[in-house]
Amino acid sequence: MNEKDFSEEFLSAFVDDQLTAEEKSRAYEQINRDDSLNRRVCELRKVRDLVQLAYRDVPGAPSASGHGRRARMSNLAAGVLLALGVAIGWALHAPGDDNKLEGASLEFVQPDPVQITSSQSAATVPSEPAQPNARRAMEVAKAGTPAKVLIHVNDGEMTHLGQALDEVDNLARYYREASINARIEVVMNGDGLSLVRADVTNFGARIARIQRDYDNVVFEACKNSIDRLRRDKGIVAKLLPGVVVIDSGVAQLMRRQNQGWAYIQV
Amino acid sequence: MGKFVASMMAAAFALGLAANAQAAGYDKQKVVYHINSADTKTQKGALRNIQNHINAVGKDNLDLRVVMHGGGVAMLQTAQKDEDMKGSIEKLKLQGIHFNVCANTLKGKKLNYKTDLYDVSEKDIVPSGVAEIAALQQKGYVYVKP
Repeated sequence: MNEKDFSEEFLSAFVDDQLTAEEKSRAYEQINRDDSLNRRVCELRKVRDLVQLAYRDVPGAPSASGHGRRARMSNLAAGVLLALGVAIGWALHAPGDDNKLEGASLEFVQPDPVQITSSQSAATVPSEPAQPNARRAMEVAKAGTPAKVLIHVNDGEMTHLGQALDEVDNLARYYREASINARIEVVMNGDGLSLVRADVTNFGARIARIQRDYDNVVFEACKNSIDRLRRDKGIVAKLLPGVVVIDSGVAQLMRRQNQGWAYIQV
Repeated sequence: MGKFVASMMAAAFALGLAANAQAAGYDKQKVVYHINSADTKTQKGALRNIQNHINAVGKDNLDLRVVMHGGGVAMLQTAQKDEDMKGSIEKLKLQGIHFNVCANTLKGKKLNYKTDLYDVSEKDIVPSGVAEIAALQQKGYVYVKP
């Protein structure tokens, strides 16, 4: 299998956590082995995060239209068009002072491709309620408000790493027993990378067990730290299976906190 | 487009003024302190941080929780014998600071909170220290790891 087997659509679904557990584990495995695939996932994550960041203050509402994976691209396109339209419409209209900020803030309103027939009409009704994003609304309806926790590991001492895994284990079990929908990301950077380096970690089997027991726990290794290891010490880090490489651990901490995730350093 | 930039700059300026006006005193804060280190020095440092935090913000402006789990629970074992530690904790409690202990840790370390830890009652026990910290953050508490 090579990276061509993964369509853009499949990867988008992966990034948006819309795959079945089986598809996901297949993807993880492949991404782990394939650098260019990994970069594509990174890029997609970045785009997704930027989009979510821009929209995160917009309240969701239920919608009848059945948006699928493909609809996202048209959503995005509509968003870009809307932003453009707002800018142009506004330059043409030269509205009064009190309209200016509202006009500007329209760029952050979630567009609905059906509703927007012309960008001008959108620009002239800034007070209209935000249009729903069907996918997100469905997720919220299905899941309630899920707990989202980022656990940060940046210390390479084995006893600490063991404790960090205890925390991950306890937390995942707690959420499962309490029937709380949760997502847990374990971000490793700096010396914390040792936790998932196949050549140095003492915890390979345990991490595999956690990954098998809890499909809502993802281990993420910082690419900057991996690169630094190669540059400074000449070590090519071999990661445990299923560990996702992310562009930057610190950037991930910031992104996730901006998206309302809880942050815990262990 | 020039007007747009100008209005954004004006807005930024107004925001800056507002922020400046508030710098004289702090607004109400909700904060969770995370202690999971078994090191007494680190723990005493954390208690000092908290006292300084109260001094800066004012106890009436501060809703501050301390969540201990893992090695951090040792702080309350130490306080059984260490008068200095005990005094600091007592003083913080009198200023309205809450101390919470993780039930997972008590179970894992086979500790009895009534006999092994300093001044803990049932309402201070939370099912999972980490989940508690996550829940507090989702309620708007700011996370501090001293």
